[in-house]
Amino acid sequence: MRRYLCSTAAALAATTFAAGSASAQSCEVNVGAVLSVTGSMAAIGSAIGDAGQLAVDHFNEAGGVNGCDVNYILRDDQGSPNVGVDAAKTLVEIENVPVILGAIQSGISLPILSSVTVPAGVTQISCCSSAPSFTELAEEGGTDGYWFRTLPTDRPQAVVMATIAREKGYERIAVVHVNSDYGNSLAGNFEQAFEALGGEVSSITPYNQEQASYRAEINRALQGDPDSLFLIAFPADGATAAREWISFGGSQNMLLSNALRAEEFVNAVGAQYLTEAVGIDNAQVEGESVEAFNASWKEQYESDPSGPGLHTMYDAAAVALLAMEQAGEADGTAIRDSVREITGGEGEEVYPGPEGFAKAKELIAAGEPIRYVGATGPITFDDNGDVTGPYLTWGVEDGALVTLDTWDIERVNEAMAGVSEE
Amino acid sequence: MLQALADGILTGAIIALGAIGLTLTMGILRFANFAHAELITWGAYMALAAVSLLGPLGGPIGPFSFGLPLILGTIAAMALTSVLALAIDGLVFRQLRGTSNHLTLVFASFGVSLLVRMLILLIFGGAATYYSNTLQIAIPVAPGLRLMPDQLFALGLAAVLVVALYLFLQHTRLGLSMRALAENPDLTRVNGVSTARVIRWTWIIGASLAAVAGVLYGLTVQLRPEVGFHLILPLFAAAILGGVGNIPGAVIGGMIVGLAESFAVFILPPGYKMAVPFLILLAVLYVRPTGLFAGTAGAAK
Repeated sequence: MRRYLCSTAAALAATTFAAGSASAQSCEVNVGAVLSVTGSMAAIGSAIGDAGQLAVDHFNEAGGVNGCDVNYILRDDQGSPNVGVDAAKTLVEIENVPVILGAIQSGISLPILSSVTVPAGVTQISCCSSAPSFTELAEEGGTDGYWFRTLPTDRPQAVVMATIAREKGYERIAVVHVNSDYGNSLAGNFEQAFEALGGEVSSITPYNQEQASYRAEINRALQGDPDSLFLIAFPADGATAAREWISFGGSQNMLLSNALRAEEFVNAVGAQYLTEAVGIDNAQVEGESVEAFNASWKEQYESDPSGPGLHTMYDAAAVALLAMEQAGEADGTAIRDSVREITGGEGEEVYPGPEGFAKAKELIAAGEPIRYVGATGPITFDDNGDVTGPYLTWGVEDGALVTLDTWDIERVNEAMAGVSEE
Repeated sequence: MLQALADGILTGAIIALGAIGLTLTMGILRFANFAHAELITWGAYMALAAVSLLGPLGGPIGPFSFGLPLILGTIAAMALTSVLALAIDGLVFRQLRGTSNHLTLVFASFGVSLLVRMLILLIFGGAATYYSNTLQIAIPVAPGLRLMPDQLFALGLAAVLVVALYLFLQHTRLGLSMRALAENPDLTRVNGVSTARVIRWTWIIGASLAAVAGVLYGLTVQLRPEVGFHLILPLFAAAILGGVGNIPGAVIGGMIVGLAESFAVFILPPGYKMAVPFLILLAVLYVRPTGLFAGTAGAAK
């Protein structure tokens, strides 16, 4: 019952808006979203839903897609894969949506992708699912190209670290990583990239969290005389492992994962041992397009867009709608094929907001190429539907954390290309 | 390989110190005291508190990372841990000692261990700390073997304490009474030995050794409120392996557990090393239900 109420409410909202918009249309095109509005992710889910709504509103204000009003249908997955798949099925079979935005959790996005959107030829764009399994699935051809996500995965991070390690002249590196999905995939990707660049990974040692001592793990990592260490850890355990690594004669040539960028870690290890260390972290994206989104969010919802997934959800919706406009029809396969035409490439840049979308529509109508630069900055989907983001590297100088270097998206893409060519 | 041997012996020495106290209380008081591991944590943190108070008394001595404050702190920790053990005994265990069911005492000890751990968490917080934040760099002793001076100190102190305890039990009247009580409580009482006094000294010795184990653990690894919780199973494995009430047995049991954990990493992924003491325990109990070395007659009953 809740489902019907939900869709009725969404439809009502869309109708109300359409009545007030500058160009009332006679036709409608549906865009579906499956998000966790209730359940364990409820705290962030409804705001993410609002971000999608905002993009749709902006597009309607700019005149809709292909002359039709966009109808945003948000369905709740209640944090459960079963409910999510049901919701996606309803959207595809009854509402005839050509594109589904979502889901938030990888565990829900994956069954939707494999059992609903790919078989039905519907494009799926997620704001928030970061699991590496999607990349693997795409590489095996399991997504047929219908899968995109606007949140960077950890692969670029691994590639950037491998590039830095090779630039610093490290030949044999030991990897010690937290025994989780995140740690496993980052370590695996790093090994692949580092070996593609001609280095050798002497060992990969997983560790379990919350142990008092990692001496055994560190001893194992020290086997084979590595000249450097890549430590993928969280601050408290990372400090324990790094202390033991250094005191047992491990090299101070250390690479550190993003979570270690914490004062707590530096203080516990001792800044004097970290002068050679280089860490990585996601860089905060800045620029006009990001400001454009932030400003319109504040105007609409009277709060700061500070929650997770807001920028990526807006971009997911905007990419879907622009691709639909570019394709000229509300068809999943056509949208899939148009996504890369309106993102990467050399076209004229368009930004978030009604003016940006109006400009995009004009350019597309005139047959000019466009490039959407979104709430998360420039977006380039690779063959697997993954995006890259900008990174920064950090180190420790005079006992304090400092930023050493920044890697913008072009540089990250170059590094990615350097690895995949091999 | 050599490194694993050295690490195993060190871990084993710390486990042995804790297991001695455990095996004494199990043999003499006849119940499995799960709160014993928390005495280790308590001792380690009492020494930390003492070190932060006594800090100005002096810097590191020689090649070691600690100085006079930690030595005095250890003595204070032994006293404070003994006080805690006697308080627990007086407030909880003595009240329950008359009950016919041994499980009552075991469950009470579970409750006490939780209380002590939470108390430490409340006072000192949950983050990992160290007696000294300066990192000690291990010295290469032989090819493939690096040792820290602190580790050698820990090993030496543990050895001295074990020998001293053994001599005490063999050659003093109090030691004889303790062994007698473990062997046959009724006969001991008939002979005019004050059981209350012997029990008191059992707690003091067990708690003091636990405090030293805690300090050595904090010195060579790190301090966390969960130290005791992580040590409880190796401790029991060591005590049972060696035969309940058997002190040399507990030491050898501790060494076996420490070495097994250390060498297991060559065969098993490091994540599974915690399971190794259990496998040994199961194997030993299957072949020799009383432990590798005969325990006390009373405990075996």
